[in-house]
Amino acid sequence: MIKVDNLHKTYGKLEVLKGINYEVHEKEVVCVIGPSGSGKSTFLRCINLLEEITDGAIYINGVMVNDPKTNINEIRTEVGMVFQQFNLFPHMTVIENITMAPMLIRKMGKKDGENLALELLDKVGLKEKAYNYPEQLSGGQQQRVAIARALAMKPKVMLFDEPTSALDPEMVKEVLDVMKQLAVEGMTMVVVTHEMGFAREVADRVVFMDGGYIVEQGNPEQLFHHPQNERTKAFLGKVL
Amino acid sequence: MNFLDMRWDIVWDYREFYINGLWVTIILTICGYLGGIVLGLLLGLGKTSKKRWIYWPCKLYVDLFRGTPMLVQILIIHLAFIPAVFGQSFGFLVSGIIALILNSAAYNAEIIRAGIESIDKGQMEAARSLGLTERQAMRKIVLPQAFRRMIPPLGNEFIALLKDSSLVTVIAANDILYAAKVVAGAYQRFWEPYLVAAIMYLVLTYVVTKLIAYVEKRFSIHYNPRKKREERVAT
Ligand SMILES: Nc1ncnc2c1ncn2[C@@H]1O[C@H](COP(=O)(O)OP(=O)(O)OP(=O)(O)O)[C@@H](O)[C@H]1O
Ligand SMILES: [Mg+2]
Repeated sequence: MIKVDNLHKTYGKLEVLKGINYEVHEKEVVCVIGPSGSGKSTFLRCINLLEEITDGAIYINGVMVNDPKTNINEIRTEVGMVFQQFNLFPHMTVIENITMAPMLIRKMGKKDGENLALELLDKVGLKEKAYNYPEQLSGGQQQRVAIARALAMKPKVMLFDEPTSALDPEMVKEVLDVMKQLAVEGMTMVVVTHEMGFAREVADRVVFMDGGYIVEQGNPEQLFHHPQNERTKAFLGKVL
Repeated sequence: MNFLDMRWDIVWDYREFYINGLWVTIILTICGYLGGIVLGLLLGLGKTSKKRWIYWPCKLYVDLFRGTPMLVQILIIHLAFIPAVFGQSFGFLVSGIIALILNSAAYNAEIIRAGIESIDKGQMEAARSLGLTERQAMRKIVLPQAFRRMIPPLGNEFIALLKDSSLVTVIAANDILYAAKVVAGAYQRFWEPYLVAAIMYLVLTYVVTKLIAYVEKRFSIHYNPRKKREERVAT
């Protein structure tokens, strides 16, 4: 579903990704862990080309996203993204946040859009907040709306960049629960996270990144209980 | 001169000059301002562009017009630029409006650029990640938010332009100030004609200030189409 082939990314002279090879299969949940600055966000953002790729290639369903001939906007409609800072549109109500893209891009009618939005809001448990503005919601609620907004485009993959890192501890669970639900329903997901409990429970595979490389990867059991690499062991020793 | 010895009747005799001047000032300002917003928006967007061949001409334009006196710009446009390009003059009104548009566009461009850049870049990224093109994201997400922040400085710009429009008297445009000059010239009296002109500008700026305050309130996030909507939902 997503194939990453020898991905390099540099900012000026700083090489952040030094050759990433990876493949995400359909319906797989992949959690990416690693120390701060190891390039996790950059990796994720390269997948939907929010960052320009310096070298290498990324394929989504066989389409090379960094081919200049590819319509990147079309690709992005199939790849949902959830940000650490939620990034809801503050000038729109919750329901407008969700219906905006389907109505604009998919030419969905207002009525259909609203029905879809209410359905998605129901799913994330926020139907009653449909006509509120984002600033009237708690962080956890905002993040759940952001997930609903991304789902409204019916993406085939969802990318999460530390979706719970900006939240107060008591709100982390409500967001993780929504993500678990998605995983159960068979959504393909790539999740950068510091929530090791979530990774252990939900991930099919866990990827450990450090210094711009994928250092080690495997299923949660392997990676958390039998890490092979010294750097993985050191990192897990600190966070577990 | 005796302050009590004012001869307001001479101003009254020339009231048609003043009323005509009022209209000229209003037309100059409104046309100059609206044109300046449109051109300023293009220049402001250009100045946020990463493409050098878009960015540099826009920057050059803004620097040029902000770095030279408006009076000089008006003279160049009326006496040199328009005759050179069109082979004839279209009168002070056309020259004046063009000068005001070109000048205010440069100031508006800076305001618009700053407004756009003040919006968190996560907004653009979120919009793009949903599949919006850059243009769609700008129009639907960034500009509506930036616009709210631009209202106060754009309002100030309007007031500044209203006052600066008096500079067009230098090309014999018959605006408010011109009426005062005519009366002053005819009677060799200066208090009455210029005071009346000043008061007219004062009233105009006062009205505009009120208007801006209204627009600002109307478009603030806390203004409530929201409340109405909530009430509608509640009932
Ligand atoms: N736009 C940018 N310009 C220059 N350097 C950048 C930029 N974005 C990221 N970097 C650098 O790239 C490196 C990797 O950043 P990245 O955000 O991918 O790390 P991360 O693994 O997500 O870290 P964290 O856990 O703190 O989010 C860091 O050293 C960062 O300073
Ligand atoms: Mg990060």
